[in-house]
Amino acid sequence: MYMLQAIDIHKKFGHLEVLKGVSLQVKQGEVIAIIGPSGSGKSTFLRCLNRLETIDRGTIEIDGEVMAKNGPDGRAVYSNEKDITRLRRKMGMVFQNFNLFPHKSVLENLMLAPMQVNQVPAEEAEKTARDLLAKVGLSQKANNYPFELSGGQQQRVAIARALAMNPAIMCFDEPTSALDPELTGEVLRVMRDLALEHMTMVVVTHEIGFAREVANRVIFMDDGLIVEQGSAEEVLLNPRQERTKSFLSTVLVAR
Amino acid sequence: MDYVISILPQMGKGWLVTMQIFAVTLLSLPLGVVLGIARLSKFKPLAWFMEVYVWVFRGTPLLLQLLFWYYGLMAVGVRIERETAVYVAFILNYAAYLAEIFRSGIQSIDRGQYEAADVLGLSRRQTMTQIILPQVFKRVLPPIGNEVINLVKDTALVYIIAMSELSRVARIRAVTDDTLVPFAIAAVFYLLMTAIVQNFFKWVEARLDYYH
Repeated sequence: MYMLQAIDIHKKFGHLEVLKGVSLQVKQGEVIAIIGPSGSGKSTFLRCLNRLETIDRGTIEIDGEVMAKNGPDGRAVYSNEKDITRLRRKMGMVFQNFNLFPHKSVLENLMLAPMQVNQVPAEEAEKTARDLLAKVGLSQKANNYPFELSGGQQQRVAIARALAMNPAIMCFDEPTSALDPELTGEVLRVMRDLALEHMTMVVVTHEIGFAREVANRVIFMDDGLIVEQGSAEEVLLNPRQERTKSFLSTVLVAR
Repeated sequence: MDYVISILPQMGKGWLVTMQIFAVTLLSLPLGVVLGIARLSKFKPLAWFMEVYVWVFRGTPLLLQLLFWYYGLMAVGVRIERETAVYVAFILNYAAYLAEIFRSGIQSIDRGQYEAADVLGLSRRQTMTQIILPQVFKRVLPPIGNEVINLVKDTALVYIIAMSELSRVARIRAVTDDTLVPFAIAAVFYLLMTAIVQNFFKWVEARLDYYH
């Protein structure tokens, strides 16, 4: 059984078709890296998986349960709000721009959702939060506010905040794209540690190095479609498709 | 000096009336929050109604609105207390301005804040009360301060329905005693009040300065 299954996902913004039938199946513990040029639809696809964007057509299943599937008219129909909320709670999300809550301390950022959404008692939420901060190497920043942290530290807090809800799948939307190059390493290290713990992960990224080292499967998207997928070696070192080759040559040269 | 002291009790009474109007009108602050949110409602008739509301109450002079709530209603046979008319006029008028300030404040919050709250499973209400509004309050503090200081001075408008607040008392004394001194005293009263408001907002801004 798949942890996450998306079949034939279609999505339009107005007249612009950004996803033209994308499918992805993710097994428990798999790490998927989605790469591709900007505008390829990779971020939109990721955002569709937890309904930050709604899909027009296709099926989305999380942990074996349907979140959306095609109705008789061929358009996607979402399950009821209660089920969706429950399913979405299985997914953690990390954004390009961190989106930490600026008016809350680091510790409060981590404790908020467990206490408000899952009614976890304060002491327990704080313990979990402190454990997670230790894990991402930011124990000493617990009482700081986001603006006092570097971008890399903020992103590590954001990862810890998502983990505080104990998700089964972690989605990362270009987690290092807003960071200065010297700060990406600390974030990628935390993500690598997560992968080693067999967290199921879907990562939209420009970090070819990370994809090569950590991902079980690399997916190359372009123009709303999956052009090529396979192991990191297959896709990154021996790409078969011309579009993959030309994309890789541009990103690798840029480095 | 003796003259100043002799009219102070009367001026003080007028000042109390002014303060009362001021204090009651502060109710327009919570009302403004609610109306500002309603203005952004996805339920179109509500958003549309709010737009008309803001247009009418921001688009006509407060002076006219005072006349309407007192004499206007009286003309169609509805008698309400002078004070009630004043409170209704001021609260509804100020809520219109404040609703616009809160609306723009809410819209200025980054979409990422909503998305982060959303993926963490927070409900719309939780997102609003815990994430969005606290940040909005910090952002709208300067324009709100402006409005509250305006309010201190706008209270003078109720002279139009013959309510004896500070400036009306000053005018009556000035005319009867043939002197400008009461106006100077009134000015001092207003300056003291605005100084308090100004410093209060400065204090709140400083208290919220713990984050950017």
